[in-house]
Amino acid sequence: MWDVEVAHKRLKEQFPDSILETYSFQGEMTIKVKREDILPICKFLRDDPDLAFDFLTDICGVDYPQREERFEVVYHLYSMRRNKRLRIKASVSEGEALSTVESIWKAANWLEREVYDMLGVPFEGHSDLRRILTWEGYQGHPLRKDFPLRGEDFEHYEVPAEPPDVIPKFPDTGEGQRYMILNMGPQHPATHGVLRLVLKLDGEVIVDAIPYIGHLHRGVEKLAENMTYTQAVTLTDRLDYTAGISNNLAYILAVEKLLGIEVPKRAQYIRVMLAELQRIAAHLLWLATHALDMGAMTVLFYTFRERETVLDILEHVTGARLTPSFLRIGGLAADLPDGIEGRIRAFLEDFPRRIHEYETLLTENIIWLKRTKDVGVITADEAINWGLTGPVLRGSGVRWDIRKVFPYSSYEEFDFEIPIGEKGDVYDRYLVRLEEMRQSARIIHQALDRLPDGEVNYYDPKVTPPSKELVAEEINALIRHFKLKSEDISPPPGEVYASIENPKGELGWYLVSDGSNHPYRYRIRPPCFVNLAALPEMIKGHLVADVVAVIGSIDIVLGEIDR
Amino acid sequence: MELVYFLIEAVVKVVVVFAVLMGTVAYLTLVERKVLGHIQVRYGPNRVGPFGLLQPIADGIKAFFKEEVVPAKADKTIFIIAPMISIVAALCLFAVIPFGDKIEIFGRTVSLTIADLDIGLLYVFGIASLGEYGVVLGGWSGYNKYGVIGALRAAAQMISYELALGLSVIGVLMISGTLNLGEIVQRQAGGHWNVLYQPFAFIFYLVCAIAEINRTPFDMPEAEAELACGFNIEYSSMKFSLFFMAEYAHLVAVCAIATTLFLGGWHGPFLPPSLSWIWFVIKTGVLVYFCIWERGTFPRLRYDQIMKLGWKVLLPLTLANIFFTGLIMVL
Repeated sequence: MWDVEVAHKRLKEQFPDSILETYSFQGEMTIKVKREDILPICKFLRDDPDLAFDFLTDICGVDYPQREERFEVVYHLYSMRRNKRLRIKASVSEGEALSTVESIWKAANWLEREVYDMLGVPFEGHSDLRRILTWEGYQGHPLRKDFPLRGEDFEHYEVPAEPPDVIPKFPDTGEGQRYMILNMGPQHPATHGVLRLVLKLDGEVIVDAIPYIGHLHRGVEKLAENMTYTQAVTLTDRLDYTAGISNNLAYILAVEKLLGIEVPKRAQYIRVMLAELQRIAAHLLWLATHALDMGAMTVLFYTFRERETVLDILEHVTGARLTPSFLRIGGLAADLPDGIEGRIRAFLEDFPRRIHEYETLLTENIIWLKRTKDVGVITADEAINWGLTGPVLRGSGVRWDIRKVFPYSSYEEFDFEIPIGEKGDVYDRYLVRLEEMRQSARIIHQALDRLPDGEVNYYDPKVTPPSKELVAEEINALIRHFKLKSEDISPPPGEVYASIENPKGELGWYLVSDGSNHPYRYRIRPPCFVNLAALPEMIKGHLVADVVAVIGSIDIVLGEIDR
Repeated sequence: MELVYFLIEAVVKVVVVFAVLMGTVAYLTLVERKVLGHIQVRYGPNRVGPFGLLQPIADGIKAFFKEEVVPAKADKTIFIIAPMISIVAALCLFAVIPFGDKIEIFGRTVSLTIADLDIGLLYVFGIASLGEYGVVLGGWSGYNKYGVIGALRAAAQMISYELALGLSVIGVLMISGTLNLGEIVQRQAGGHWNVLYQPFAFIFYLVCAIAEINRTPFDMPEAEAELACGFNIEYSSMKFSLFFMAEYAHLVAVCAIATTLFLGGWHGPFLPPSLSWIWFVIKTGVLVYFCIWERGTFPRLRYDQIMKLGWKVLLPLTLANIFFTGLIMVL
């Protein structure tokens, strides 16, 4: 069995002086390296055929103001070949720069920009080092620990004398007025929210494109750092608001990993079932808007009919349609209500026929084929290099799904297929998602058939509250309840990364705990954000009409991109 | 005296046709929304009046009272004239369409055509193309890039499809030997509908006509998903409504012309000549329904694909159709 320890050994041989520190927590290896050597080390990790860390999952920064080198930049690497994760860290002090790893993984482009924006760590040699989530004239870096939390704590805000450039500068090709600059969004019917795209057009052909994001930035990561672990659950619903339960699940799995607990089987099965229902709902919404963008209006009403059924089921279980916050650290808020099984089974009975109905409208429709085939192509290698995940990666023919490679919440006990595409065009992604809905239905079937009996909450007085009946009767339970509700849980110091297969791709949480009751760092690895970074690459040379097709096929949700 | 009668007759016909047409256009919006609603498993408008029957009136009142916005940098004259061109062109089309057989009123024989032109068909194509100027100028004058792209698309699409549209009816002309729409209808009496002799030309005509009036799947100049309404992006209030009405009037017009050219016009069994216009209404209605139906079914084509379809597919096919028609006629 290949172990990530090998990577450590090879690194030690190759860069004996650069490895500063190595440690493991909850089975995750972290290697701290010298900041000067980050580029050669990353290059080695990717290019060495035995290691092949070809996938950059995430880059984020953590601020430790008390340290001399106050910023820690954390690289989460993944090797497709070895199916192992590795965490590399480098520390820099204020004003010091790290060299960019953009030349190794293109995914680093936006991720490094975010670190620069949020913490003010510059990256040397970066091709486009601008702020990304906040605007150009913004002052300060929000994720620094000394960033003021309340309005009255801010120093007087100086409006810049020169307004910052909101019109982007495309590289000058010396052709003057030959091209038309078209501003698409943030208010545009087909950019799926407040995405702003600036297109450089030659006639209707796209020469270049610059996406602008951050119009919906709410500082979720900063907010969560000042909340307790349980309170922060509610923030997760509001990221990808089409898949609330999936987001809950990813965050809660990370916290449970930090605590080192595993919830009872029944809770795991219910979580899987709800997450898959949520996936169906999210994919139905995707199909509706994607088809609408291409002018096929009727599909929207058909899919919304079924989505309504799914949301009704979710409402029956969780009490909310869009923002359930139903999962709890250590289990669930409640067991399944009576009569839900019949409703879910009735839906599953009906659903295959409905998917067939959508397919009759689109799959072999010649106009649909013309609009989607060979549009927005991205090859498998490129997709991996860009860090794409989810249906976009699978559409390019990479059979990679976290439910299979890192099974969580008992996914290994379910029987389902991972559909893949061939070419990586819009049509392939469309087929992949349709098939995923069928597979989700299969998983829900199995979960219902084999639903284990028992508790839905892990028993640990320090994690899960006592039942309401017990609180009413016993003083000890009342005290426990009070303590838990007022202080919340305090996981041991450490750091974990946990991710799930969200409808959009790999949604992960990197949590750093300092032993207190609120997360020291609450980093979200956003699938749409990383996927969207590849958009300009996919639409270059295509027509304006293809932009909406490709955006639809990436399936972005701005709530999660902007956070 | 004869002249006075003639004038009265013409004015009455114009007023009747105009009133009926405006009513049709208004209620066509309701029909479209109802039919689409039915296709899309929802109700459609049903709040204003019974079955939503007063909806078009409410829409009209609302359009009148909306604020009128003219962009500061717009070319004001053209901006204001553009919707007028559109609606006038669409309405003028109806001048030559024969709605029914000749009828007797107060001892006078009245033909149910406003103007019985010998060059009716040429007139139709001439006027129909003029309507596109409204779209092109409207999109260009609003000082909006989306509008300009919409206008450019409209211009390109007009040129491509006008050609195929014109060529698709040549077969009919060859059979009928006249450009007078009334006479074309007369020659189709007794069930000899042109569609039986020119089935392909009929299909080509329908495709080109739908492209000509910018409806899904050829609604390039509008394309709400990518161009956010395209040429009419800067229009508001009644100016927008004029474009809207022109579009529907144009839709009725091309269907009426298709009825005239291919489906035997007002000919049909069971009804006396004085009521023959009912057949005309039914046939046109069926075609209009078809146009609404396909809107509920198809996605939108891409701009370059429409161009390819026009030049590389429809144009050669219509030419081939003319060739074979000629061949058969000679033999």
